[in-house]
Amino acid sequence: MVIRIAAVGDVHLDEDVVGRFRPALEELPDCADVLLLAGDLTRHGTESEARCVAQEFGDLGVPVITVLGNHDHQCDQVPQVVKVLEDAGITVLEGTGVVLECSGGRLGVAGVKGFGGGFAGRCASDFGEPEMKAFVQTTKDSADSLGAALRGLDCDLLVALTHYSPVPDTLAGEPLEIYPFLGCYQLGQAIDSAPTALALHGHAHHGTERGTTPGGVRVRNVAHPVIKQAYSIFHLGDHLE
Amino acid sequence: MTGQHGGAPPDEYVEAEIQSMLAEDPDVAEQGITVVRRERGLVLYGEVESPHRREEILRRVAERFPDLPITSDIGVIRTQAPSQVEELP
Repeated sequence: MVIRIAAVGDVHLDEDVVGRFRPALEELPDCADVLLLAGDLTRHGTESEARCVAQEFGDLGVPVITVLGNHDHQCDQVPQVVKVLEDAGITVLEGTGVVLECSGGRLGVAGVKGFGGGFAGRCASDFGEPEMKAFVQTTKDSADSLGAALRGLDCDLLVALTHYSPVPDTLAGEPLEIYPFLGCYQLGQAIDSAPTALALHGHAHHGTERGTTPGGVRVRNVAHPVIKQAYSIFHLGDHLE
Repeated sequence: MTGQHGGAPPDEYVEAEIQSMLAEDPDVAEQGITVVRRERGLVLYGEVESPHRREEILRRVAERFPDLPITSDIGVIRTQAPSQVEELP
């Protein structure tokens, strides 16, 4: 038995993009059990852009689960954006999780936007100015909420969904200097704290597709500029008991 | 003299200003465009979600630096359905 997961991030919708993804999305009921969106659904996080997302990614015939990205926060309209998405039947995760009954088993998805901070040995520290402490606390809080959500799900197969990257592997291609703005090791630590089968993220447009956490969990960067197709599809099965 | 060009090769302040403009200008809001300085001007490369966004990037940069030769190598990301799946045992 196999669970089929379609995923893409960083679609940055506005009126000029509506309709571009739809022909490929119409095929989803034949090839996937769920579509996961890895944040940056919009350009500026406005309610009107969220309506474009709802139009493009609503009524697909498969469940759609998303986290938000940094672009979706730009105009400080997160509650309105979330409402538009949820009214369209899209599940929005932020330090939370959901379990879906699929033909191949119970799929658990825990998600959080995540944040920057950097990776082991090259990261920001909770020290010094209040601004720096607030930055690192945001990183820690975000990762902690992901870990708790992952560990709290009762399912056959567990997937972590973030916008920011949990590992540096999938950032290869980005300038090293900006890695601390692209992800943090604490997200990887959260993913490794649970029996996670797959971690999906976006955000790093110049990164690469494949990586693993220190604990051996497969990580995939599904940012649209990286996968260069409407979505990627992953088949997971042997983890099922 | 940030932002001035005057026929000289673009310096890193010009590069920084363009990167900031592309990210922060509400009509652009692109963080995935790379600006490469060459002796005879700038090359912009990356990928965007629509032809309109590519045109807007070029228009904005040309408007800000009218004397600067700019070469564009910005693509529009394909949106076809995948032809293969990845099996993860």
